[in-house]
Amino acid sequence: MNKKVARTIFIILFLIPSCVCFLMFYAYPIVQIIVTSFCKWDYTNLNNPQFYGPGELLTNYQYIFTQYPYFWEALKNSLCWALVGVCIQVPLTLLVAIVLSKGLKFSKFARNVYIVPSVISSAAMGLIFLQLYNARYGPIQQIIQKFKPEFTDSILLVEGVNFWAIVFAYVFFCGTTAIMLLGQIHGIAPELYEAGKIDGAKGWRREWYITIPLVKPTIKTVTTLAATSGFLLYNEVFFLTNGAAGTKSISYIIRELAITSSRTQYARANTIGAVQIVIGLLLVVVINAVFSERSIKKRRGE
Amino acid sequence: MLGKKKIKESNPMSVEKGEAVFAYVVMAVICLIALFPIVWVVMSSFKQDLLASPGFSLPESIYLGGYVKVFTQLGIGKYFMNSLICATTGTVLSITMLSMAAYVVARYEFRGKGFIVGCFMATMFVPTAALTFPVYTLVKNLGLFNTRAGLIFIYACSGIAVSFMVIRNYFATIPGELEEAARIDGCTYLQTFTKIMFPIARPGIFTAAVLAWLNLWNEFYWASLVIIDKEKMTVPAILSQFTTSFATDYNGLLSAIVIIVIPPILLYCFSSKFFIEALSGGAVKG
Repeated sequence: MNKKVARTIFIILFLIPSCVCFLMFYAYPIVQIIVTSFCKWDYTNLNNPQFYGPGELLTNYQYIFTQYPYFWEALKNSLCWALVGVCIQVPLTLLVAIVLSKGLKFSKFARNVYIVPSVISSAAMGLIFLQLYNARYGPIQQIIQKFKPEFTDSILLVEGVNFWAIVFAYVFFCGTTAIMLLGQIHGIAPELYEAGKIDGAKGWRREWYITIPLVKPTIKTVTTLAATSGFLLYNEVFFLTNGAAGTKSISYIIRELAITSSRTQYARANTIGAVQIVIGLLLVVVINAVFSERSIKKRRGE
Repeated sequence: MLGKKKIKESNPMSVEKGEAVFAYVVMAVICLIALFPIVWVVMSSFKQDLLASPGFSLPESIYLGGYVKVFTQLGIGKYFMNSLICATTGTVLSITMLSMAAYVVARYEFRGKGFIVGCFMATMFVPTAALTFPVYTLVKNLGLFNTRAGLIFIYACSGIAVSFMVIRNYFATIPGELEEAARIDGCTYLQTFTKIMFPIARPGIFTAAVLAWLNLWNEFYWASLVIIDKEKMTVPAILSQFTTSFATDYNGLLSAIVIIVIPPILLYCFSSKFFIEALSGGAVKG
């Protein structure tokens, strides 16, 4: 067989399975989401979505933005969870990774223990926190009653407080990203610290001037992961409050509209899906811009 | 305070005393944070009447009735089996396909390569929830709704970006001479892959597989969406049934939670080396 043809066939055959999966699971659904977000498609026309007429093309978006009662609540919650995720998880991950990188006694033990919650599924952690917050036997309730003995409700139903109850159910468990970062810190050449020592970079200044700048790309990854996982939060909401008392997230309302709702509002679910994709990408773009060399130099006034 | 420090004086990483105290405080706090929820659930599962001794109180005597009930009534074994089947098959399928694609992308030049890589990497930023309805209908149309095969199909297709990136990076580090030598010795393209490159890239592929498997084992969103029959549910999905099936049997509920979380923890204890090496890109030894 002609060598060049054989090579081409080989390349194509090896790419086909992954490409088919990509097309079926990602490309086709995304196209469907975007196209049907301009369509009327619900329980009245289950099998044939139809485009809205010209001038009414944005009906679904209009409905979501102005009439659907939970969209703004969900968007606000999801964005706040993304922000809280970044503000708490990034410094915490960095602190844990730096502390563990010192090679002190027990640090391997602490590292192994800290990953345990990340090995358990977030569904199980959600269920465990549901028990911790239980109004009748949970330890958290006991603490609250020390300060406010008359409080007997579930904190998961107290608006505002339940937002933080959900946050605490996941925000401290960043074992996996801490290990990623730890791997990068271990990869830093010891000579750099040696040189830093001569220049007087000791103790925590050493971390600030040597370690952190050198692992910046991984910090960016950690930031992106913290922001997107907060923005896409679903499991914790489902297990802890099931969307009650002002805790719906974007992911939650998509699933509610598409599957749980008896009116099967497919097009509207896909419309929110399209919004979620766009905002998710915007978050990534913003994080990239914040971490780019240019913007850092600007802030330093160079 | 917490044991001697064994740090050599010449080590540039040497730690000052104040730093060490701070580091130990941080380590103690993170251990506490990580263990508190699990320890509390285990402790409370031994209490016969949770309402009589709520919160932090220690169990007066150890009551194992909940565990007996969970094993005799819930049949927890089958859910573990379902999880094992779905996560493992999904991982094998996905990693096999992606190894092939990653190899071709890492070692050959061809038109449209950049586009394919771009597409695969972009999947990292596609939120699962946004795909809910299209994937739900796709699985239905394929006749796979409410089957383990449907879930395996989703698992095989999802999580392209991370696995692809890890495996491609590994292939890219292998020197090209090996491949040329194999070709000169008369290996076909396929043989070069199966006999030479795949075995060499095993550590990278294994890393990707461990990460993928852990994700799929814990996956809740799709598992609770495409499977309706309790018999076919995976462990994370069955958890959502717990609060209703144990309505007021708090002891049973807590025992069931403990039984659900113990196997992954044990598995982790025995294989923490792999997990940690996989996560840290091989730089941290377990």
